[in-house]
Amino acid sequence: MLNPTAGYSASEEKQEIWVYLEPGEDALSSVSLELLGKARLLADTAGYEVKGLLVGYGLLELAEDAISCGADAVLLVEDQRLTQFNVEAFTAVVTQAVLEGRPSIFLVGATHDGRDLAGRLAVRMQTGLNADCTDLALDPDRGILVSEVTGFGGGIIALLECPKQRPQMSTVRPGVFPLPIHDPKRKGEISQLKIDLPDTCFQTSVLKKEEYDLVDLTQADVLICGGRGVEGNFDSLFALAQDLSAEVGATRPPVDDGFIARERQVGQTGVVCRPKIAICLGISGAFHFIVGIEKADIVIAVNSDREAPIFDYADYGIVADVAEFVPALNRALLERKEHSRV
Amino acid sequence: MSKRHIVVCMKVTPKPEEILVDPATMLIQREQARSEINPPDMNAIELALQLKDQSDARLSIISMGPPFFEPYLRVGLAMGADALYLLSDRTFAGADTLATTYVLAKAVDRLGDVDVVICGEESSDGATGQVPPGLAEWLGWPLVSLAIKAELNRSGTQIIVTRDSHGRAEVKSSLPAVLSVKSAANQPRFMDFDLKEEAFEQVPLIVWGPDDLDTEPDQVGLKGSPTVVTGLREAEVRERRRQRLEGPIDDVVHQLIEILDPYLRTP
Amino acid sequence: MAEESNAITLDEGLWLEILELTHGAATPCFQCGVCTAICPWGEAREGGFSVRTILRDAQIGNLDELETLWLCSSCLQCEASCPRGVPVSEVLGSLRYLLWRRRVNLHALPSVLWSSYWNNNPLSQPPSARLDWAAGLDLPIFDPTQHDWLLYIGCTASYDRRAQDIARAAVKVLRAVGLQFGVLGVEEPCCGETILRLGHGPFFEELARKAINTFDAFEVERMVVLSPHCFDVFKQHYPQLGAEFESTHITQFLDRLITAGRIQFVNGERLKITYHDPCILGRGHGAYDAPRNILQAIPGVELCPMDLEREDSLCCGGGGGRMFLETPPGERFGDLRVQQARQSGASILATACPLCIACLEDSMKVVMGDRLPVMDVVEIVGRYVGQV
Repeated sequence: MLNPTAGYSASEEKQEIWVYLEPGEDALSSVSLELLGKARLLADTAGYEVKGLLVGYGLLELAEDAISCGADAVLLVEDQRLTQFNVEAFTAVVTQAVLEGRPSIFLVGATHDGRDLAGRLAVRMQTGLNADCTDLALDPDRGILVSEVTGFGGGIIALLECPKQRPQMSTVRPGVFPLPIHDPKRKGEISQLKIDLPDTCFQTSVLKKEEYDLVDLTQADVLICGGRGVEGNFDSLFALAQDLSAEVGATRPPVDDGFIARERQVGQTGVVCRPKIAICLGISGAFHFIVGIEKADIVIAVNSDREAPIFDYADYGIVADVAEFVPALNRALLERKEHSRV
Repeated sequence: MSKRHIVVCMKVTPKPEEILVDPATMLIQREQARSEINPPDMNAIELALQLKDQSDARLSIISMGPPFFEPYLRVGLAMGADALYLLSDRTFAGADTLATTYVLAKAVDRLGDVDVVICGEESSDGATGQVPPGLAEWLGWPLVSLAIKAELNRSGTQIIVTRDSHGRAEVKSSLPAVLSVKSAANQPRFMDFDLKEEAFEQVPLIVWGPDDLDTEPDQVGLKGSPTVVTGLREAEVRERRRQRLEGPIDDVVHQLIEILDPYLRTP
Repeated sequence: MAEESNAITLDEGLWLEILELTHGAATPCFQCGVCTAICPWGEAREGGFSVRTILRDAQIGNLDELETLWLCSSCLQCEASCPRGVPVSEVLGSLRYLLWRRRVNLHALPSVLWSSYWNNNPLSQPPSARLDWAAGLDLPIFDPTQHDWLLYIGCTASYDRRAQDIARAAVKVLRAVGLQFGVLGVEEPCCGETILRLGHGPFFEELARKAINTFDAFEVERMVVLSPHCFDVFKQHYPQLGAEFESTHITQFLDRLITAGRIQFVNGERLKITYHDPCILGRGHGAYDAPRNILQAIPGVELCPMDLEREDSLCCGGGGGRMFLETPPGERFGDLRVQQARQSGASILATACPLCIACLEDSMKVVMGDRLPVMDVVEIVGRYVGQV
């Protein structure tokens, strides 16, 4: 059983906000950038420095991106064995870096890996961890990070602080904070850290990794469901889904008619989903379907029938023909993508 | 190979839609709310029972909480678990995750012969997902999170876990280990009514307190929690807005994109 | 020398288990096959549904046909025709418990049972929202010193938005006739019928006992029930578990009031209505006339009988727990039923069961043809009831 390690106290801390930088596909994950942006804002209120901690292999370019997005410095730990995330090994690395650097605040994106890392680290450092924060503030007089979190399925909002232990740790979900402006003219220091990492730190190994092409609607963040009003034109929904990184589901009638596979049927006798966004196209809103999407964070309904019951279950309702709506949405999404490239 | 010992951590949570805050004391009023087993823990028990089905193993449930947890925990016994331990004491109350995982780890330590601890991914009240990694850290064991299936190897020295984190992967871990189970990863079996009477009437509830667990007083409960709550309020009730977006279709879709933008950021 | 043989090896243990579960109810069956011939699955499905084989298997302690056990919608056609009086649908329901015990072929049904356990309804709806349908109606909670009757809503009418209209219509009608009634609100217990039909006898019994305790605590002696499904278990199963209250289906209740002259109707329209007999109300309880009397008491109503009415009524497909199971397209009884309704010449399809309404409305949308409104008798009464 763990014997708590000696960490560092508030009086020994450095006035720095560290952000754990998580590599994404070929750039830093968006949540890391979002946290850099927020850290920059917090640091500027109190005259702190912002440092990124990047662990992996072959990540120099990503370190430069972090500087451009607000970091004053990036601490880089590179080891070929760290190419893939491994929570025990990464915890060992991050602990050493944090014990040496003694930041006041350490922010981690609440991704799957981030949660695991932050959870282990907080216990190793015997400090508090505020998870899935919806907002952060820094009290410059006390040097205290105030974290806002929701609990009980979003019903309760709480403010949390970690007055004594260090670092003050919070995890934040992707999309909570805006992406910062990328300024390639920003200057900062990138330094390589030497870390002790015996092979024994690696206690798990990945045997196989599969490409994700199994239909699993239950894990979709964005779900586009089509009903009879789609009139079988699910190709247009799949195309729309591409643009929104969404999954496509359906009500029973189009499944019955053979327009779409039964594994994509959403509802009481199909799949029950918990997406962030549920877009219901051409669906009347029978109860047994609603059961499949009622846990969505936001529900959008499109139906040409003004009186369709679906509108009672939606946050935003649009009375329109699906055949008109989908192309219009595609156009608007295309415009948005082009604007963000500018 | 002797019997494997699997442990499941369970929590009883209030039904989220019933939670109220007393604005005067800033405390959560749990008493009025109906409770249930934290739904992800149901997936955890199911995975644990699947492991028990495939190997010669016994399953113990541990839970840190007040005495009213008992009938809920016995549901786990009726599903097929063998033993039940409630870690309970007034001083354990008010714990954040550090203090909670400390107590859970002490219980696993006291059991002594545990091969794998299985937790739900997160809890419906705190939803922090910190218990599995925190517990693994206290125990000094590897963690495999977001498990959807697991299998012990023939000699029982390793566990092969299928996990789902933006793609399926098969991970091998040495034992002992901590697993967290992905929410809704499986369908929890209904209670076995042939076991139910014994589960509810006969299997003893073993209650462990600070002396049984040998916990340090300043590491449990409120005292052992580095985080403090400095403010608390109810969020607005999430009724569907039922708002209509009107106007020419091209305007409407732009309005819609504005609305969806904060939700669309991918991890 | 091993030889291929068609002989089945019987399992004594299984035979005994089945005997216990079915209480020997399959014993009188002499394999005439009338049940199988008359079962609507014969029309709806390739290969039909061999009820006879299942009964035979039950008698000898064999069970191959595990999957088809879920087909039965408790329509009672077989029971009505069985020359030996075998309670066929009950036997099938009891056999379903074998699947629960062995945890095979359960589809997504465990979640339905868990919902009943945690939420007091099989629909995964929050228990605290059970009375939300009545917002603004100022419904009193049942008080035995003030109310003559309990209005028992049931889970479907409490939570399913379409069925909530029936509940609201019932309130309107009962108030119009000046009835002193209350509801149990969020304390209203689930009757457990879904669980019984899905084959989990022991859990049903637990739910029923809990419900009886609640009714006793409120001192309920008489109740008007909206769903024939709830009504059926209250009448047929609850008394054996110690229940003493009297339950009446709302159509029987309204029929009596009409006969006693306590309901007046105001209507100037001509209404051609065809009435679909719900299986439970019809074959189950012989209540063919009451709903028709009610409809005919409304001036301007012309009843247009459809094919297969009364004892021959074709099941909508929603009973037997099948609301929680998937029925492939082209195999839905409701699809055939709405065609029959359309052919009757009526402009309204009426029935007296919230599950029939859900199934028939669904089929009405799917099957090409005239969209007849599907209405509950209570809703029709609510529309035309005048103040007494």
